[in-house]
Amino acid sequence: MLYDIRQTTTYLYGGQVRVARQVLRMTPVDRPHHQRVLSHSLSTDPGASEMEQGLDFFGNAIAWLTLDTPHDRLEISTHSRVEVKAAPLPDLQASLMVDAVREAAFASTDLGPGSPVHGLYASRSIPLDPAITDWTAESCAPDRPILAAAFEVMERIYTDFAYEPGATDVTTLPHEAFLAKRGVCQDFAHVMIAGLRGLGLSARYVSGYLRTVPPAGQERLAGSDATHAWAEVWCGEDLGWIGLDPTNAIAAGNDHIILAIGRDYADVAPVDGVIVASGEHLLAVGVDVVPVERPHAVAPAP
Amino acid sequence: MDKVSLAEDANRDPFAAAAVEAVLDGYQTLPGVRDEMMGADGRPRAHWLPFLTALAELGPQEVRRRFGAADRYLRDSGVFYRVYDDKGGGERPWALSHIPLLLDKADWDSLAAGLVERAQLLEALLADLYGPARLVEQGALPAAAVAGSPEFLRPMVGTLPRGGKFLRFYAADVGRGPDGRWWVLSDRTQAPSGVGYALENRLAMSRALPDISRTMRMDRLAGFFQGFRTSLLKLDRTGEGRVGLMTPGALNETYFEHALLARYMGFSLVEGEDLTVRGDALYVRTVAGLKRVDVVLRRLDADFADPLELNARSRLGVPGLAHVARIGGVALANALGSGLVEAPALMAFLPRLAIKLLGRPLALPHVGTWWCGQGAERAQVMEHLDELVVASAFGTPVPGIGRRGSVLGADLNPQERRQLSAVMARRGADLVGQDVARISTMPVWTGDKLTPRPFTLRVFLAATEEGWTVMPGGFCRISERLDARAFSIQRGDRSADVWVLADREVPATTLLPSPENVRVRRSSGTLPSRSADNLFWLGRYVERAEGTLRLVRALVGRLAETEPASSPLVLRLITLLSSWGAMPRDFAGASPGRYAIAALTRHDLPGGLPQVVKSARAAASVIRDRFSPDAWRALVDLEACLKAPVPTAPTEADAHERADAALRIIAAFSGLASENMNRLTGWRFLELGRRIERGMALLRFARTFAEQGAPRGALDVLLQLADSQITYRSRYVVIEARGPVLDLVLLDPDNPRSLAFQVERIAAHLRVLPGRDPDEPPPRSERIVARMRADLTAATAESFDIEDFDALEGDLAQLSDEIAAHYFIQGPAADIAWPGQG
Repeated sequence: MLYDIRQTTTYLYGGQVRVARQVLRMTPVDRPHHQRVLSHSLSTDPGASEMEQGLDFFGNAIAWLTLDTPHDRLEISTHSRVEVKAAPLPDLQASLMVDAVREAAFASTDLGPGSPVHGLYASRSIPLDPAITDWTAESCAPDRPILAAAFEVMERIYTDFAYEPGATDVTTLPHEAFLAKRGVCQDFAHVMIAGLRGLGLSARYVSGYLRTVPPAGQERLAGSDATHAWAEVWCGEDLGWIGLDPTNAIAAGNDHIILAIGRDYADVAPVDGVIVASGEHLLAVGVDVVPVERPHAVAPAP
Repeated sequence: MDKVSLAEDANRDPFAAAAVEAVLDGYQTLPGVRDEMMGADGRPRAHWLPFLTALAELGPQEVRRRFGAADRYLRDSGVFYRVYDDKGGGERPWALSHIPLLLDKADWDSLAAGLVERAQLLEALLADLYGPARLVEQGALPAAAVAGSPEFLRPMVGTLPRGGKFLRFYAADVGRGPDGRWWVLSDRTQAPSGVGYALENRLAMSRALPDISRTMRMDRLAGFFQGFRTSLLKLDRTGEGRVGLMTPGALNETYFEHALLARYMGFSLVEGEDLTVRGDALYVRTVAGLKRVDVVLRRLDADFADPLELNARSRLGVPGLAHVARIGGVALANALGSGLVEAPALMAFLPRLAIKLLGRPLALPHVGTWWCGQGAERAQVMEHLDELVVASAFGTPVPGIGRRGSVLGADLNPQERRQLSAVMARRGADLVGQDVARISTMPVWTGDKLTPRPFTLRVFLAATEEGWTVMPGGFCRISERLDARAFSIQRGDRSADVWVLADREVPATTLLPSPENVRVRRSSGTLPSRSADNLFWLGRYVERAEGTLRLVRALVGRLAETEPASSPLVLRLITLLSSWGAMPRDFAGASPGRYAIAALTRHDLPGGLPQVVKSARAAASVIRDRFSPDAWRALVDLEACLKAPVPTAPTEADAHERADAALRIIAAFSGLASENMNRLTGWRFLELGRRIERGMALLRFARTFAEQGAPRGALDVLLQLADSQITYRSRYVVIEARGPVLDLVLLDPDNPRSLAFQVERIAAHLRVLPGRDPDEPPPRSERIVARMRADLTAATAESFDIEDFDALEGDLAQLSDEIAAHYFIQGPAADIAWPGQG
């Protein structure tokens, strides 16, 4: 599936901002077995006085920028064209057992970005919580295949939790969302990750987009009018990381475009920044993910 | 082996031996625990004898007096430790145990050599883990034992720090086991604290026992600091010799130490908001604009160092610092991420890693540690639970092992044991098992005799061009409890000086590496804007205190004898104090004495003296590196003077006496500030604050007591408030007349208390402040002052009226705002929120 993705983020400040310094994580990159980025552009208004781009530890594209022209409004626009060819979901029952996966993760000799070890521990936005762990354990008997277990956890979140924008905010911790049994995609992904980690399993956080226009005859997916988030579960050396979307109770597939991967929201926040200003600020985010009617053949690479 | 029997010693001097026996009387060592002073044979070790003999010769009374002097020194120097759990963060006075830990040279040398080897190992380990991670790939270290640490800073992976070293300052906590060997208990690689307190302990002890500390031939500390300073200055590529000491700020528990070290080593004490990243470099905001900082001694935990790539909620860091560090735009000591090797989980692997990285086993052992992320080790720990401590593997909180992060296996009841077992099965990786270290005791002085207490010793190492150097001494922390296990100084323990006794004469100045490089410059242009801000306000608050005290004194002084309480002059004074915020509104018609006592003592009055002095001290407390200890002491005295209890029925004389005493301390402060502070930019901001505030006070005094038709005696009060009576009397034999009084108080440029004099001083300071471009028109502040000077020169005293006073006071207020806008840091930083994800 080929997508045309436009995101516009607008900040309105209460007063003049003299200097702003930010990092942006808004640039999709190629992900083997999932997506290929055909083009991407990022611009700001007012323009940045300094801008540098690079990759972070997990291989996400990040941009550091400084704005030193006084401004009371900042607009960040991105435009990407991404081709998604998701790997099919493996047979749930054919995966390694929970106990074996745990053991393999803790014994890993890989410290690189793809290693399961980064998904094993409590992280900044995901402290471990005994109640979430116990709730998750109900689906994760030691001798159950990991993917079947994780799939069930995902489905239980979808069934037991209410999708309710505004019920939580960006700082809500997993145990709060768990107690309230409501929240948005970020909360659901955090709860799912917290529970699996509590059991010594490895899970990580994915920030991305969801197609906004459903295929004919299908319902629009929740979370598609902003950036979306879901979880990835490590299923052993062979299967590696499998994306599961508890907000929609589906595996991450051709409707999911990956923006950044990390241990939790704090690792992949689309914008982190510091401004020198007084007063409140307002923020509006608009996202459009539109499938592109593809011509018959892809143009050969130049 | 090295014990000299007391009997032998007694042959030489029976009286001394008897006196030493008296000092040691009742000293009961603990069974199964080694004591530093007393040998297993019940006799003091040889290297303690000279000290004990000297102590005995002084006699108990003199010893008490000497130790009291040491405590006074520490109190007067304002050595403190901040306690976090106090409401509002209280400052706790430093508790020194007066008996130093004595170590003989051979013992020390082998400990020091072992720690140097350990420092080399930790450096090599960091270089591998942030680099190729071969140790992990080869299976010598599980990846999960690294990834679990919150100090494994992923943004720093794949880069080598500027200068090639992660660690430049390292400390280890060690304890001595029953077998006499030193054991490492923990490593400090993030931003070790305690070295400044060690320095203060040494100073206090040489104050208390100057004769003993001279004859004992102990190694000196200064050389260590100079060597460290030289090695940091060598990293500076700007040639300006500027090293920033980065502190989380005055609320940090060890802020005192940060200020002390900055002053002692000649570094600039900087907070996050003082620093800014531009392009590929780090700068400090100074009153003369941005100045490059190429080397930073970091006392701020790495996680807080950069809100962009590390903890986004940190308000203490510098946005972009991680990026600049990564590209080598700044050298950080220690590098971001160095805290990784503090993790107990890694300690479990060090013996194996030493053989891989150093090619030999570690000479110095550490407390036996097993990481429970591995099945065999986990089983081992559960099997021997009764003999072990279970602790957090990465220093993070783990449910089930208590809030302190460790629990003694033997203390667990069966239910807790089952819980631990369940946690182990799922998340053993969060835990380590550790041997219970039994550490040795040393003597402490309990009023009249010695008793043994367990202690740990923190030893400090610095990286220099010549390799690691070890500070010959350390920071000794003494537990108040006889149970010799983990403890924390946060809970009220004492510390002691550490004397490494030399086997030969110690040169008075230690040989330093490359002394030609020990050159510290501190040009006037480097005053950070924040320091300027605080100095300016310190000046204003001190002057405000002085003005208020003069009003109080006038209220209960001569006026009280000659005027009834309801006289218009008394009412005017009270009205003035009221508009100052120094008068309670709730008592009308009280006696002047009661009003005066209220202004002097009531904390709820925003302009009352306790609040004003508190503000002065708060401003001073964040710039202690720029401040002489004596001037600081004056502020502490001032606060104490105002805090002293008042008699239940205070008289006017009591109030007068107190106001007088407080004014004398302020005079001392002014004297110290003008005599002891370099005539650099910082002093000018202090002066500017004082002069502006004094000018404003004068104008208010004049407005109240020199308006047309003021009651009789008012001009005399004005002269008194402006401290100009004597000059007036010497100049005019007549009684007070409005024209001459106003001329003296406002216009006379030779009267140091006049408004004209203040304005002249302000003008002189502004002219020489840095950052002024001669080609540009003068800044607004100078234009305001120029206008004031012109007004004052043209004026005749008789013609002044209320509008003139008000206009001039308005000018001063505007001037204060202009200075703030031009030189100080503007506005608080805020983070840009994101609404979260769908």
